Order: sequence, then C-alpha cells, then structure tokens
Amino acid sequence: MSLVGRLRTLGELMSHLARRQRFFLVPLVVVLLVGGLLLLATGGLSYVAPFLYALF
Amino acid sequence: MAAILGISCHYHDAAATLVVDGKLVAAVHEERLSRVKNDASVPLRAAAACLRIGGIPVTALDHVAYYENPYGKLERVLLSLLRAFPASLRQFPRAIGGQLGDKLWIVDQLAEGLRVERKRVVLGDHHRSHAAASFYPSPFASAAVLTVDGVGEETSTAIWRAGPDGLICLERLGFPHSLGLFYAALTAWLGFAVNEGEYKVMGLAAFGKPRFADEMSRLLKISSDGSFELGLEYFAHTYDSALGFSPRMETLLGPRRMPGRPWALGEIDDQRYADVAASAQAALETALLALARRAREITGETALCVGGGVALNAVANRRLLAESGFSRVFVQPAAGDAGGALGAALDLAVSRGEPRMAPLVTAALGDTADPAEAASLAEALGFRARRVDDRAATAAALLEAGRVVAWVQGRFEWGPRALGQRSILALPQDASVRDRLNRVIKEREPFRPFAPAVSDEKAAQLFDGAPNDMTPFMTTVCTVRPEHAHALTAVRHVDGTARVQTVGAHGVLAPLLAEIERRALPVVLNTSLNGPGEPIVAGAVDAVAFFARHPVDALLVEDVLIERAL
Repeated sequence: MSLVGRLRTLGELMSHLARRQRFFLVPLVVVLLVGGLLLLATGGLSYVAPFLYALF
Repeated sequence: MAAILGISCHYHDAAATLVVDGKLVAAVHEERLSRVKNDASVPLRAAAACLRIGGIPVTALDHVAYYENPYGKLERVLLSLLRAFPASLRQFPRAIGGQLGDKLWIVDQLAEGLRVERKRVVLGDHHRSHAAASFYPSPFASAAVLTVDGVGEETSTAIWRAGPDGLICLERLGFPHSLGLFYAALTAWLGFAVNEGEYKVMGLAAFGKPRFADEMSRLLKISSDGSFELGLEYFAHTYDSALGFSPRMETLLGPRRMPGRPWALGEIDDQRYADVAASAQAALETALLALARRAREITGETALCVGGGVALNAVANRRLLAESGFSRVFVQPAAGDAGGALGAALDLAVSRGEPRMAPLVTAALGDTADPAEAASLAEALGFRARRVDDRAATAAALLEAGRVVAWVQGRFEWGPRALGQRSILALPQDASVRDRLNRVIKEREPFRPFAPAVSDEKAAQLFDGAPNDMTPFMTTVCTVRPEHAHALTAVRHVDGTARVQTVGAHGVLAPLLAEIERRALPVVLNTSLNGPGEPIVAGAVDAVAFFARHPVDALLVEDVLIERAL
C-alpha cells in the first residue's frame, strides 16, 4: 500500500470539496477518517470505544 | 499505439474493457471469472483477461479509465445522509464505512492492483460513461442520448447530444429523484432482489393489469417536459438503501410480498402483485417516453441511444422505438453499470483524438473456452466426449430429437444476455420444454419467458418490427406474428411478445439456424448457460461443471460433444 498515493487521494478529495464549495464537509470527513484510522490502528481495542462514543 | 483499459466496479457488476487505437478489443465482466454473481469487486481478473486477449502488457497501457468520480460520489452520500438525519443514523456507519474504507481509494486500488503508475488512472463521470457506452458503439453518426439509472455521482437522468464533436450534456435530473430507484423500490416491495430482480418485475408485469395508475402517480409525478419527481415519503433510499421503500408505500400498495414465496398467479394475492408490477412498468414507460420526446425536441435528432441500468428494460425500449418520435433506437448489450467500463475507455480514447470505434456488431468480446480441456475434464468425470465434424448439424439433430443442448462457442458475451456463445438451446415449439427449463434446469419463477434467436433474414416474417438496431443484442422485444404463435409457444411471453435476438450471416448461431431451417422455422430457444444464482459460464471448466450439475442432455464445447454415459 502506497502512503504517498493515499495522501494524494486525500488531497484530491479536499480539492474536489473545495472546488464544489462544500467546505462544511471537510471537518466531517477529517473526523471520520481519523476515527477510522484510530480503529484500524488499534484493531478496534475496547479502550478506543469511549472516545468514539464521545464523538458520535 | 494507444491502449486504454476501462474499469467499472464497487456498486453492481464490475467489468473491464480494453480499447486499442480506438478499437474495442475485449470486454469482460468480473463475475464470469470470479464466479460470484454480480461481483462488484475491483475487476483485476477481468482486466488481466482483457490484456491477455489483446496481447497488451500492462506496461503498454496509456491509461486506466475509471467510470465515475469517487469524490463526487462521497460528497453526494454525505449530503444525502446529513439531509435525512436522524432517519439516516442507522445507515450512516455502513454507508460511510463503505465509502471511506473502500470506494474512495479506487485510484490507489487500481494503481496497486494493476501495477500501473497512479497518474495513469483517469476518473470519468458516471452518466457521461453511460452516454459514451451507448453512443460510440452505435451505428449513428449523431444521435440524442438518454441515460437513466439509479444514481451516479449525483445525476440520475440526463439528455445528451452526441456527434462528431463528442458528447454534450443538455439537461440533467438529480438524486433523490430517480427512475432506477423508483423501479428498484417496487422490485424490493415485490420480494425480488434489487439489481437482479428488475427483469422479473418486467416479466411479471405482462401477467397483470395496470390498475394502480393513481397509486403510481403518487410515487412518480411526471411533467409534460419530461422531468419527474418521486413522492419521497414513499421511498427510503435517502436513509435506508437496503430496503428502498418506506412504510408509507405499504400503506399505499398493501403489504410487501415475502421474498422466496412460490408464485401462484391464479390466486388473488399474487394477481394483485402482478397488477402492481404492470402498473410500475406502465409508469416507467410513460416517464421514459416523456424523457425521449424531450430529447427529440431539444436535440432535433432522429436517432436515440439509451444507456444506464434502466435501458435494460427491453419492454420499455420497444415503446421508445414505436412511440417516442425517433426513427431508430440503439441500446448496447451491457447498458448497466458494467457498460460504464466501456464508456469510460471510449470517451477517453475519443478525447485523445483516437478514431471512433466501428459500430458494434457482436457482443462476443470475452475469452474462449478450450475444447481439449473440456473433453479431458468430462472424461475424468465419467462423461462421454467426442469430436464432431459438423457442430451445427450435430446440435440441430439433438434439438430436433427434443434434447436440451448446452452450447459453448467462441468468445463469451459482453452484457447480461446470452447471445449464442454461452447458451442453453432447445426448439421453440414445445411449451413443456419451457417448463422443464424453468423448473428443473434454471430453477426460476414459472412466469419468466425464454428468448428466441432467429436469422435476421427471416425475422420480419415471424416478428413484428424485427430486425432493428436493438435486436442483435436482445435489448428490445417484438410481437410474435399471430400465424406463428403456435410454432413459437416456448419463446412467446403471455402478452404475445418475445425478446428476439436476430442473427446475421456471420453470427455464431447462423449455421445452426440454417441447419434447423431445412426442416422447421429458423428459430431456436436461447437462454443463458447458467443455473440459479450462478454467473453465465465462461471457460471450459465452468461449462463441464454446469453440465455435471444441471440436467441438460448434451454439451457442445466448440467441436467437442459431451454426453452422459449410458
């Protein structure tokens, strides 16, 4: 998996949202991606759950 | 040389196509190779098959064209979920998980899976891909194009002008108003699987009367200018895509039909469901006709191309040809999302200045089956296998003896229809053959019709309106002429129509039809070579496996005849 490629995809997504003037979606996408990354990195460990619960 | 690989995936039926110097070289559905029905995964097998067929190494690819824009799709999904909040709360994790966990990264998935540079992967537009797939393979120099499906990035319906200058979008309608989602919701309400059961609704409609027109007018409001709106309170696709209809639809139309319950069309309950199917089909046809008339009005063209999943509604296509004011209508065989792979590649090729492809004359764009491999596997499984000198004469003799023959010839088809390359064949006179096929071999609902293949020279004598631009690909229906109704019992639907395939002089079924014509009408019942829930057969191993599992009488793989040992 290419990290550079993934970062480019995120850049393209942000450019798309900016071009479409959907700026209000950017924080939502960032929170969802960070949350997902957190779950992925920790393997869904139980101590992550309270943070996610607080977020949503 | 310029080589472009087209890709569609992640939603319905994934596919890959290869266009070299503007010519369509290969087109393959992933399901044929993965053996997973409607496989939506990234079609790496299909891509590899296309490259192998074309003799193109992956390093020689100029571009990989993906059929839609994942960023636009994510934007629409997010907006739709937010607008439907809090009803969308349950749908949220699954929808967003699918987008952010998988679909968003398609460029990386293709670059890494195919081992091409990321910058070579080009994103298309969903409806533009449909429009390109329907126009560029057509026989028309210029045409109006109508694209109608569930939803792409945001568009659900679009009218285009197509010609030497390419494709120009003239009008669009957007999500959540969608004819594809209207029909899908009714498909789910009738107890069929969405994205698979729409054909069943179309077949069932012929058994009913459209007596629920008032109810349909609440579900689908059609304006005289061709635009339409859904009565969104009856639908759930903005917050529950798994179901598609809301409780209010059950209040309006009655309780949904339970999936899997056997059909008994003589009983009042099932007759009511058939009447709803007929009403939904009539409403869809009315909406499509209004759109086509609008397209005629604003383009001034005399030919129409139709693309998108709704274009696979062969019954509606007949009305488009007869009543929309266009003198010719073309629908390519893979008009649904798989066809997006074709459109993305063709559109990119044309935009690069490559020549437009020649009109599509055959759907045989897949891989071949090895007869030696079939023979060896069949013998290992205890079947008799032998080479025959004249495969058409051999098959004709078997059919005339009342046998059902599995027929594997040439490259497999592009699109959801068997067009004579991977078919189950029988003679069309005997209704008992239809019942045997439906109940024992295909194991499907008894109301579903079978299609005839006929030589195009004789088509006009047997079917009203045949041949036309759609009949080579079985994307329309024609009425069986009354004087031949009895002789075509097994391929005539209850409404007197048949989904005809016309076969040209060079078609793979042409020698067989010529052989049959010596003693009978040059017509053969042709249904896809697959069992229930299976993709259509691709290679020799699939063919022999089908023969081992299903009670057809003989299998002909190229010139190898396989029969059961006595």
